Amino acid sequence: MKKLLFIILSLALFTACERKINEFSVTTGSANFKTYVALGNSLVAGYADGALYKSGQAYSTPAIIARQLQLAGCGPFVQPVVTSEYGVGFPGSGPRLVLGPSTACDGSVSLGPVPYIGEKEPLAPVGYVVQNLGIPGMKSFHMFAPGYGSPLGLTTNPPTANPYYVRFCTEPMNPNFKVVDEFPKLMPTFFTMQLGDNDVLSYALSGGVGDVITDPALFAQTMGGTLQALKATGANGVVATIPDVTSIPYFTTVPYNGIVLTRQTLVDSINFFMSTYFGLPQLVYKLGQNPFLVADPTSPHPVFKVRFMKPGELVLLSVPQDSLKCYGMGIISRITSTPWAIPTEYVLTEDELANIQVATTAYNDIITKQLAPTFGVGIVDLNAKMKQLQSGIVWDGIKMNANYVTGGAFSLDGIHLNPRGCALSANYFIEAINAKFGSTIPQVDITQYPGVKFP
Amino acid sequence: MRRFTTLLLFVCLAATTTFGGGYQVGLHSMRNIGMGLIGTSLSYDASALFYNPGGAAFVKDKWSFSGGVSFLMARTTFQATDVNYQTHLKSQINTPLYFYAAFKPTKDLSVGLAINTPYGNSLAWEDNWKGRFLIQNLSFKAFTFQPTVSYKFGDILGIGVGLVYATGSVDMNKAVPVNGNDVPEGSVNIKGNASSFGFNAGIMVHPVKGLSIGIDYRSKIEMKVKGGTATFTVPASLGGSFPNTNVDVMLPLPANLDFGASYEFGKSNQFMIGINLCYVFWNTYDSLIFNFEKVSPTQAITRSAVPALYQSRLIPRIGFQYKINEVVTVRCGGYYDPSPVQSDYLNPQTPSTDQVGLTCGLSVNPFKGFSIDAAFLYIMGTQRTGSFSPDNFKGTYSNAVYSPGIGLSYSF
Repeated sequence: MKKLLFIILSLALFTACERKINEFSVTTGSANFKTYVALGNSLVAGYADGALYKSGQAYSTPAIIARQLQLAGCGPFVQPVVTSEYGVGFPGSGPRLVLGPSTACDGSVSLGPVPYIGEKEPLAPVGYVVQNLGIPGMKSFHMFAPGYGSPLGLTTNPPTANPYYVRFCTEPMNPNFKVVDEFPKLMPTFFTMQLGDNDVLSYALSGGVGDVITDPALFAQTMGGTLQALKATGANGVVATIPDVTSIPYFTTVPYNGIVLTRQTLVDSINFFMSTYFGLPQLVYKLGQNPFLVADPTSPHPVFKVRFMKPGELVLLSVPQDSLKCYGMGIISRITSTPWAIPTEYVLTEDELANIQVATTAYNDIITKQLAPTFGVGIVDLNAKMKQLQSGIVWDGIKMNANYVTGGAFSLDGIHLNPRGCALSANYFIEAINAKFGSTIPQVDITQYPGVKFP
Repeated sequence: MRRFTTLLLFVCLAATTTFGGGYQVGLHSMRNIGMGLIGTSLSYDASALFYNPGGAAFVKDKWSFSGGVSFLMARTTFQATDVNYQTHLKSQINTPLYFYAAFKPTKDLSVGLAINTPYGNSLAWEDNWKGRFLIQNLSFKAFTFQPTVSYKFGDILGIGVGLVYATGSVDMNKAVPVNGNDVPEGSVNIKGNASSFGFNAGIMVHPVKGLSIGIDYRSKIEMKVKGGTATFTVPASLGGSFPNTNVDVMLPLPANLDFGASYEFGKSNQFMIGINLCYVFWNTYDSLIFNFEKVSPTQAITRSAVPALYQSRLIPRIGFQYKINEVVTVRCGGYYDPSPVQSDYLNPQTPSTDQVGLTCGLSVNPFKGFSIDAAFLYIMGTQRTGSFSPDNFKGTYSNAVYSPGIGLSYSF
């Protein structure tokens, strides 16, 4: 009897002492996640590697967020599905980029972005209602642009429609239909909004010469109007801030001082030519790294209106690399043997950067100080998060930063995030949602999301 | 028997928390395991060669042998912080072994050899788990061989010293955060062998009848893997950044300073109570350092130091023994082993938590000099939340360990 008691007690102890950990408990807080709509630009659409393609879209930030919200009662989240890995194609759409061996002008082969080989997917309406209202290229005021989703607007000059929106606009033949008109049809209960980036980014991508920055007053009006339209459906949600362009690799990969001189004789002869032949004595080269030349329309020089780039000025990733590498762009042309500045559309100068900073700051002030309090929405401070990323972050042993290719978070276009970056961004949204609404939505395991794919 | 059951229950209820020290293993003799892993003041049999060389000379028989094996089964659950992700360590059975042989050429002198496994760490997380960039699986095994001399002065004082030769192997796998088409995710295997020397010295005194006091010091052993292999599996275009190469790994095995006291009493000494204070110099484990030989100009990693920043810890232990009759002896005990790992350096490589161990044991002596010894160790699992901050890896761990074991002792 005593032995039996001993055995029973031992077994009881054995099981009692073995502990389990409580699983993550999901709660909704004060939010209603039933119908989730994501609104915004290419960052919302799942655009990556220079295209909107199937697997990139599957990893869009809102798609990742939606899977987590579905643990808290969110219904279906439908995206306007792209069926090809090449991506949606139309005149002017760039090829999707992949990493591959590319041969430079000097014959050297290195790993770099090369066009994906495949068939362009023709532009066609998807024919169903979607909850991901991410429209690549959209600016804040396009929310109120009539006919922005009409195929007729694609062929006008200038075009008044956006091909990505034409794919899923619910009233394409209505010339007065606007993106904001989608909201009463969708009746969202919850939204995330990542809009307004292009209001300043398009200017930056054009090197400050092919586009204009949206006036902050107009920005405030259209962003506010959009939020008002969303709130009118009874929805609440979060709005992201606008990341500073200087935190993305498209602008930070090519250094301003990429002219590397290793021989003093070469330095001396360049200096001699610059001052004696070209009348540019202010351009003094030295051993090591020297700034590129950039066009300077204000220069008093009758012929060579050039100057050194200044520290902090940015060269865009779109700059013709072969011209820089082999043909003397940024110093002296090998063909004409005269000073050859980087054309201004590939450079953000001090003044242009100042315009960008002023606008970005104004936009973010409007979002955080004016719109968020007025409409009672939460803030996802992606601007701050992208700055953190730039200086380097680590997550589950994966180190990431904002470097091109090697940084691990951006896709090959240097602007949009790769799937791992999107998962990171989704976690920032979830963090902000939980903070604002007192919910406990689990973050995603970013280790399950791939980075840039190497051959 | 009732006394024993009640005692076990009492110890279990009294202990409210937790599990899992560093990579030190305390399973070196079934009799000692049964008594809460105490041993510094005991001289039962040849196992004293390890527990306290000063006690070996007190073993009465001319020849004594002892050997055994434990079947260590650890269960660990991991729940990530902020993510609905839970996983477990794969179940595996580790088998720490021991074998001791002692010979007394004279009444006061004993020479012997101790072979056992005082250090080791073997674990495998589920494939593709969240922490795989820190560790996927790890096997660190070390055997020590300790030739020992022990001498006693009368029946009062014994001293002894042993030279410790440690030989071991390490084999670990982890993921590397690079992706490709042919290789969906990179990984690395590190494998190598190491051997090194240390010593074990102890003193035992028997000041009054029935009382035994011992002090033992086992030195630190620097295990250095020289010329191990690092084998990377990465996309072909990254072969230059992650070439297969040689690697040196440095892992210190910490020193131990043990103090023990035990007292026998009752009719023909049928009762015994013993305590043990074990100070582990864990602070020697500052970081785990890997030095990779540079074989490619674009090599991404040449040195990696994984910070550990362990802190030294004192482990108190207590044990009891009751000889029911000439044939059967029962034992029980317990200890508290505080984790040497700080909460922001909690690495899934060694998911260490504070531990409370409960033990019981049984010996059967069918005839004089021969003993069949069994012991059971249960380490109570509760949970600990922490992070490995250098890798920003956060979560909650809960562990439980059970380890039955069996051994034989023979002396004549």
